[in-house]
Amino acid sequence: MARPADPHAMQPSRPGRTRTAPPQVPDDFWTRPRMRTYLLFDATGIVYLLVGLVALRVAWALRDGKAAWDALLASFAHPAYLAFHGLALVCALFVGVRFFRLFPKAQPAHIGPAKPPPRPVLHAMLYAAWIGITLVLLAILGGVWPK
Amino acid sequence: MASDGGESKLRTFVVTRFDPDKDQVPKTQSYQVPCRPDWKVLDALNFIKDEIDPTLSHRWSCRMAVCGSCGMNVDGEPKLTCKTSLADYGDTVEIAPLANFPIIRDLVIEMDGFMEKFKAVKPWIIAAKEKAAEEGTYEQSPEQLAAFKQFSMCINCMLCYAACPVVSKEPDFLGPAAIALGHRYNMDSRDEGASERNAVFRGDGTVFHCSYANECSEVCPKNVDPAAAVNQAKLNAVIDWATSFVVKRSR
Repeated sequence: MARPADPHAMQPSRPGRTRTAPPQVPDDFWTRPRMRTYLLFDATGIVYLLVGLVALRVAWALRDGKAAWDALLASFAHPAYLAFHGLALVCALFVGVRFFRLFPKAQPAHIGPAKPPPRPVLHAMLYAAWIGITLVLLAILGGVWPK
Repeated sequence: MASDGGESKLRTFVVTRFDPDKDQVPKTQSYQVPCRPDWKVLDALNFIKDEIDPTLSHRWSCRMAVCGSCGMNVDGEPKLTCKTSLADYGDTVEIAPLANFPIIRDLVIEMDGFMEKFKAVKPWIIAAKEKAAEEGTYEQSPEQLAAFKQFSMCINCMLCYAACPVVSKEPDFLGPAAIALGHRYNMDSRDEGASERNAVFRGDGTVFHCSYANECSEVCPKNVDPAAAVNQAKLNAVIDWATSFVVKRSR
């Protein structure tokens, strides 16, 4: 059913003539499908925090020399690390798709005389940039480019 | 029960009740209603009011999704009850007042807080100098109209406030409809008050509370897309603040 929301939500600055009941929200507000997707979107921040910590570990290994670096690379083959990186990839894809869906409509109709391109074009540009940058990074990490 | 619209079906409506003279907190009451297949939720509420329980209070007026009066939470989702078909719901339907608003009585919510937020964004044309009547009308091209027309279609039904997860946590947040309306005037080629409104957007009721959950646009019955307005307003407010250091304001 319903539970109390913030008692000050949408309250007028001065009380009205009639006594009112405090605002309510549906009990299952946070578990509805759209809200669940939104919360998952926010929760991916935790995964990115962990990815950041892994990046710090990589930096420390670089500082500590070749043996530490080789040990780090070996540890990345552990199933737990593989699963974590798989999860990070899923999170990145999820956030990317949601962001690209919402980003175009957040663009102002114009900034001064400049106008953004039509939304389908903006969508295409975002995905093209995403795929292009990913391919460049893969080429660099795979040693294919630059020669 | 047979009727022109086909066989009636008995449905249970669990309706929120609150009498400010008797109740401390809202409670629910169930009603059995023989509903025709073509009925909207509002038809069932009017049946309850007319045939079962005349003490039930709810707002409605136009019955064609224009006046914005009949917004309620139907099975937890903010809906215009005159536009919401019962055929999309099960045998039991929960009707509650719009979430996030104080409740005056039963399904009637307190709107004064909403109206204060509306007024705060100065929803009128602000001109540096009023044009004399003999100078003719303000002209606007179709392209200039297109920049804000979508945001002017709001019917003030407040469904977006009931859906917004920020409104329920940040009482000072101006909210989707008010920001969309302010943004509508900012985008109007006849208006010169954008810097005043942007100062409001950046102030206590800041647009930056919005976390872009997009719920307001999901529930908007007129496809106004308030989430787009709020997030465009965020960017415009920042640009306006940054340019204020180098461009002298005329007002």
